Amino acid sequence: MSKLKKLSIPYLVWMSLLVILPTILIVLLSVTDLDIFTLGSFQFTLDSFAYLVHPEVKIAIVNSIRLSGVATLISFLIGYPVAYYLANMKSKNKTLIVSFIIIPVWSNMLLRIIAWEKLFYPNSILNMFGISLDLIGTDLAILIGMTSMYLPFMVLPIYSVLEKMDRSLIEASKDLGAGTIQTFFKVIFPLSLSGVVSGTIMTLLPSMTAFALPERLSGGKTLLIGNIIEDYFMKTGNINAGSLISILLMIVIIMMFIGLLRFDKEGETLI
Amino acid sequence: MMNILKIIGKFFQKRSLAFITIFAYGIIYLPIAVIAFLSFNESSKSYIFTAFSLKWYGEIFLDERLFEAIVNTIMVALISTLVATLVGTFTAIGINSLRKRNRAKMMILNNIPVINPDIVTGVSLMLVFGLLPISFGMSTMLLAHIFFSIPFVVLSVLPKLKELDLNLFDAALDLGCTKFQGIIKVIIPSIKTSILAGALIAFTMSIDDFVISYFTTGNGFQNVSIWIYSRIGRRSFNPAVYSYNTLVVFITIIILIVINKLGYNKKTKGMIR
Repeated sequence: MSKLKKLSIPYLVWMSLLVILPTILIVLLSVTDLDIFTLGSFQFTLDSFAYLVHPEVKIAIVNSIRLSGVATLISFLIGYPVAYYLANMKSKNKTLIVSFIIIPVWSNMLLRIIAWEKLFYPNSILNMFGISLDLIGTDLAILIGMTSMYLPFMVLPIYSVLEKMDRSLIEASKDLGAGTIQTFFKVIFPLSLSGVVSGTIMTLLPSMTAFALPERLSGGKTLLIGNIIEDYFMKTGNINAGSLISILLMIVIIMMFIGLLRFDKEGETLI
Repeated sequence: MMNILKIIGKFFQKRSLAFITIFAYGIIYLPIAVIAFLSFNESSKSYIFTAFSLKWYGEIFLDERLFEAIVNTIMVALISTLVATLVGTFTAIGINSLRKRNRAKMMILNNIPVINPDIVTGVSLMLVFGLLPISFGMSTMLLAHIFFSIPFVVLSVLPKLKELDLNLFDAALDLGCTKFQGIIKVIIPSIKTSILAGALIAFTMSIDDFVISYFTTGNGFQNVSIWIYSRIGRRSFNPAVYSYNTLVVFITIIILIVINKLGYNKKTKGMIR
């Protein structure tokens, strides 16, 4: 068995180069005035932290948390019943029906965002049905978009936990006198919690850090943290402040990840 | 009387669950339906449907930049999937034979790109590639795609490896196999469905990626996502991309149905997760 250990060494080198090195670099950039293009001498400075209280950054942080939080909550409220229904479905084509929920992922995400954008303008193909929406720039547009994009990632982990659940536990609970609702809240739901946690993280993360989606569905009005990072790195060249925001985002994500580890020891419900 | 009420209640419960499920599929599929609808639109305007037409399907091959972007997307996806599947499989075999503590550490490292927001991964890779003596373009995008695909292959293969009895491998060595032969002839055949599943995930991630590609490309090298992003709301946005997308979705559905049918005949499990 130990003869195969060496096979993991190249990966360790590769990951050190592409995960650990850039992380060090980002930390360095965020607490110094290092110029990434010239890589000259640098000095320790906390200048980048001033950007954290910039009005647009503050608004973006609030927007990210608020919109992704609500979108995740909506996804959970819709996704749990869907996962429950699919897991208890008795159909010959069950796997097919379940896998249909991930097909949209094969469709280009930007195009799906554009499709929503087209529907949300007053002049749209919906006019054919006598409907005219004017949602661009509203939170509702972003929330619908996020829910539509990330709902599959909420449904699948919950589904896979519910599907694997030992049915005899449910029968036992009923035999012992619990009603349907009691059984659900005392047996089924607590046992499906690891799926709920995975689903929540997999919905929360991409919606919190999205940048094309809010940009399109708000007509450029609503900024999320992803828009700030993109702006700093690609447009205004403010690499140091962009790095600081990125590293803070990464810390938040790692903390969530540690939370997940408590439910799922080796991170295998991730896919 | 109470019994009847209970039955109605139960019926309604199931009905409402079914209703929510249909609603969920509806909001997930609506944008795809809109894209398909627009791909058959004679007009290039997206707010009015003038007549049914297949002209945008022909346009896929006539718009040089778009066609090039499609070729680039498929090429990057194929190469990165191939490399990531190979490397990921061997890496997973290595990780599987580590001691518990080291294995957990490797898995944390492995999961960072999975859990990290795309935008942070994109920015990180952009910074590292900037230090390397390579110019941004296909090579950097390809490296990025290989990078984010490997962890998914590892995650897909590892659970199956854990179930595998490694004494079989030792037996193969005792019987005169080299280590490499042992891996190829004993380990790989018993984990091939998870390798395939991992490859499928890697391919999906690559073909749909926008954010990481956006940060790691350069010198005008575009995949479909970048082609779209650079043209949204411009005149050069060719509705032929709707046709391309509709074809991709259509082919995916066909493949899925075929796999499902085969799966039933052979009773193989684990093809679709």
